[in-house]
Amino acid sequence: MAATNRTSPYRPLALGNRAQEFLIKLSANLLLAGGAVAIIIPFLFMLSLALKDATQIRSDPLSIIPRSPITAEVNGEKLPLYEVAIDGTKHQMALLKNAPGKKGVFVDPADPDQTYTFLLADQKPLYHIDIHLENFREALTSQPFGKYFLNTMTITFVGGFGMLLSCTFVAYGFSRFRARWLDVLFLLLLSTIMLPSQVRLIPIYVLFQKIGWIDTLLPLIVPAFFANAYDVFMLRQFFKTIPFELDDAAKIDGASSIQTMVYVMLPQARPAILAVAIFHFLYAWNDFYEPLIFLHSQKNWTMAVGLQTFNALYAINTHLIMAASIVMIIPPIVLFFMAQKVFTQGVVFRGFKG
Amino acid sequence: MLKHSRLSLRQREALTGYLYISPWIVGFLIFTIGPMFASLYYSFTDYDIISPPVWNNFANYKKIFSGIFEALITHDSSKLGDPIFWQSLKVTLTYAVLALPLGLIVGFFLAVLLNQKIPFVNLWRTIYFLPSVIAGVAVALLWGRIFNPRVGILNPIIEAVLHVKGPGWLADPKWAVPSLVIMGLWGVGGGMIIYLAGLQGVPTDFYDAAKVDGANLYQRFIHITLPMMTPVIFYNLVLGMIGTFQYFTEVYVITNGQGGPVRSTLFYNLYLYQNAFRYNHMGYAATMAWILFIIVLVLTLLVFRSSEVWVYYEGELRGRE
Amino acid sequence: MKRLILILNLVLIGAMAIGACATPTTEVASPVAPVATEAPAATVPPAATEPPAATGEKVHVTIFVGLGTGTDPAQIDSENALAEKFNSTHDKIELEFLIVPYDQARERLLAMISGGTAPQLLGPMGIETTAQFLDSLEDLTPYIQRDNYDTADFYGPAVSLNTYEGKNIGLPLGLYPSYIFYNKNAFDAAGVDYPTQDYNDTTWTIDKLREVALLVTLDVNGNNATSPDFDPTNITQYGFDNSWDSLRGWEVLWAPANMGRPTSADYKTAIINDPDWVTGLQWYSDAIWKNHFMPDSAAISGLDPANGDPFAVDGLAMWMSNSWYMSESLNELAFKWDLAPTPFNPKGERIAQVDADGFSMPKDAKNKDEAWEVMKWLLEPENNLELCRIYGCMPARKSTESAYKASLAEIYPEINLDVIFNAATYLDVPNHESWVPDFATINEALSNAQSQILTADQDHDAKSVLDKTNVEVQKILDAYWATH
Repeated sequence: MAATNRTSPYRPLALGNRAQEFLIKLSANLLLAGGAVAIIIPFLFMLSLALKDATQIRSDPLSIIPRSPITAEVNGEKLPLYEVAIDGTKHQMALLKNAPGKKGVFVDPADPDQTYTFLLADQKPLYHIDIHLENFREALTSQPFGKYFLNTMTITFVGGFGMLLSCTFVAYGFSRFRARWLDVLFLLLLSTIMLPSQVRLIPIYVLFQKIGWIDTLLPLIVPAFFANAYDVFMLRQFFKTIPFELDDAAKIDGASSIQTMVYVMLPQARPAILAVAIFHFLYAWNDFYEPLIFLHSQKNWTMAVGLQTFNALYAINTHLIMAASIVMIIPPIVLFFMAQKVFTQGVVFRGFKG
Repeated sequence: MLKHSRLSLRQREALTGYLYISPWIVGFLIFTIGPMFASLYYSFTDYDIISPPVWNNFANYKKIFSGIFEALITHDSSKLGDPIFWQSLKVTLTYAVLALPLGLIVGFFLAVLLNQKIPFVNLWRTIYFLPSVIAGVAVALLWGRIFNPRVGILNPIIEAVLHVKGPGWLADPKWAVPSLVIMGLWGVGGGMIIYLAGLQGVPTDFYDAAKVDGANLYQRFIHITLPMMTPVIFYNLVLGMIGTFQYFTEVYVITNGQGGPVRSTLFYNLYLYQNAFRYNHMGYAATMAWILFIIVLVLTLLVFRSSEVWVYYEGELRGRE
Repeated sequence: MKRLILILNLVLIGAMAIGACATPTTEVASPVAPVATEAPAATVPPAATEPPAATGEKVHVTIFVGLGTGTDPAQIDSENALAEKFNSTHDKIELEFLIVPYDQARERLLAMISGGTAPQLLGPMGIETTAQFLDSLEDLTPYIQRDNYDTADFYGPAVSLNTYEGKNIGLPLGLYPSYIFYNKNAFDAAGVDYPTQDYNDTTWTIDKLREVALLVTLDVNGNNATSPDFDPTNITQYGFDNSWDSLRGWEVLWAPANMGRPTSADYKTAIINDPDWVTGLQWYSDAIWKNHFMPDSAAISGLDPANGDPFAVDGLAMWMSNSWYMSESLNELAFKWDLAPTPFNPKGERIAQVDADGFSMPKDAKNKDEAWEVMKWLLEPENNLELCRIYGCMPARKSTESAYKASLAEIYPEINLDVIFNAATYLDVPNHESWVPDFATINEALSNAQSQILTADQDHDAKSVLDKTNVEVQKILDAYWATH
């Protein structure tokens, strides 16, 4: 497709340009790496919170590595051990109590009657690594997360199927046809997400109550079959980037509108369809609000609702929330990783040249 | 079959279009329009949810819009009918002005960078995508800790690197909203999927042709990538705008639904929620909802209007009229 | 094409049908209309109401848990076990604890009420929550009188805490008296004697509290707050904090004329800038900004990272709180601690504000008679004790005091538990969480005032803050009375 018989608007790619390009790319990628580090740090913090127990979270909050003080038993009490320097030699002593002037009263566990007083800041507290892997087990067994998982899967996949089906149809309608009221209807579609959902909660609840759907999974699945603004909007944007020449070619071959949709639009918009599917999965996976309102019994809960109960009024189980959240991250991340193939295709076959 | 139809080609096309949209229309009529009109009705009532709504004419609207003139003249906010309403609007606008442009720009450039064929690109993408997958309650609690002036990790890092004492973040009214913006930026990788999908849609032959013509990186970006991505940017702009105005869940968890300190994180939707479910003023909350609706609708219309200038669709229906 | 669309529509409907069938549908057992019970003097057996057709169907009673404590996973298991115990001994009523996470409990409850499926009982709820829902709660006085229910075993004030203008909206479950938790390590580090534990020691006043707090507040160099070298920007240990209390809870310490009520007795006039209120708030303001022994909001968030708690982090010497704070994890604290009484105020009175939990009945619920039976059962001494074990409260029944004391002593062998039991006698009436018109809106205005005092670079003059707040609250009261 070389343009051989017209003047190029650009200067030829000189060596200087190449070097410039390389530098730009290098600095951009360094930025990327730096950003990745910044992104990962909070996650590491989250991981360390998940591996600590409640006492460690309170008394040793800044340490990324979960650790606990090494203790010695003195007169029936467990006291923390410090490495204390006396005349150049190091001893291990237990801290009995604090003293004014930032000092501490230490005892040698072998000889508890003799007390020493030293400056606290000069002594080194001794720690041992104390990782609490059982947080994960405790978080997941404190409630029937297995059942929650099944409920979440039902909502995700049945709802996802309905969403993809309906949103594809509706987005096709909005992007490929001319009709008088289409623009108004599209604006109406968007306007449905402009009204804060809090004020629609009561009427919707009463509606579902009247038709008997409360405490079933239906309020969470059935509306998905009727399209929603976010996904229709996204698919519509993608459909609109596909040139009409492809539609025309299909029509000449005798394709009906639905055949055009299936054989022309969908393959071109595959990344968008996948993106929409991933978003729906994430949404259904993490949404706790609607399940919480519309489901009654605990056995119908989804995983996200189960997670919410760790955030109780007086007892916020930080370590359990973090542990459960980390486990809940795994399926979406695996899904994302697997979906990468579609996003790295690079060459998009247009089927039409010139 | 087509030849014998009494409808014109145009009318058939319109009818087919409507037919494809019908699932949404049906759903709208069943699930959406009723509650929407119900909430509009509530906005003219006093409604505590437990007892039936009581019509109060425009009292709710009057309360919001009264006192504006006097307050402007005397610079005394207590003259306003509801000073808290205007505070919540101010907080929300501040957040929107900060978060929306940052989110759009950072998200877009991030996706462009992650669209390259560099080693381990899948790994990089997964790292950036990771935060947007974490459940909201965990994110809020985690960042509540990170921002903590004493036991959080952010201030020690700042002190070590920049040698200044870090601010109070969420506990400081001046820094509370910027803190939330930063927290939101942590999840900016979530939107990258859409951009990546869009970038995949740019035909590589365009780039090849440009390279042959001698275009450098910058020129290829400005003249190919950017225009082809405008539909996706438009999408993110509209939805981002709608979303930032309705920002709620994270701030609810972090501030325990209070919007403090001193109402500095009292977002519009949070104040709305308080009225609806805490103060037994659901009617007033509905009024707030519809006012927000109008604001967002007007802004969206403006953006749509402007899109005719800057958004490029290859599948545009121009030239087919 | 038309055929194709038709087929697709059928597929759509089919998929929906499959989705519907695949989901476990459990509808709330629709309660049959109850028939009024007969013998008014009947006491022990649950006066079950049978539907005229005697189908033997159980009447369903749901307890809505989520407006207060009770939603922690550990508590859920214990609550379900209690429901099991009830169900196995009652064949006409079926009890269920409906757990709703705290953050969304209000929406869920209001949705249920508006949908016609109000739960039969609500609880455990604190006084604040009952005040917010006051208008929607059933008056229990007729039930109490009908059954000649004996409330003598309850602490007198506990019953009166839930009575407003003759309307009794809940039987008391448990009390949470307040007192001071003190950190022995912190006192040791400052070289100060531990506070007294004797309720008759009249030298333990608010002024004495301030003196002690000044001495136990240490900066990074170990100087206490009375020292000229004290560095207020680098405090490592604070002397006193009360930040989990509301403004009304703060003020009650000074025994103002209307105690915990921020209005006149007819609820029409706001009295928030009452001289005692100003004195009290100014004491707190000075404590933070002049004397530096109390942490401001930035420091509190430092001590209380994302809802840990200020005391457990070992940076606070004295922490005034209620007994709901004493969950079991207090045993794993990294330091030794004990309890001390609330101090006497300048008037020579001691007011130790009290929180209380109880169960209430929504007006709109069905099967109220069965709900009443369940409520009585829950408050039988043995069950009352079990519930208080789950929720951490001191049972409202005098007869269970020794059993409760014994169970506490098992968990906390080294703490002086008498401090807890003596505290209950000094409770605040009207309570600092008691009802006022437009309760939640006024509450928010008061907490905004408190927030100003706590936050840096705001107005810290108590009089000016309270004057402005008084105007705000008066406006709210006027708006309320204009339509009621």
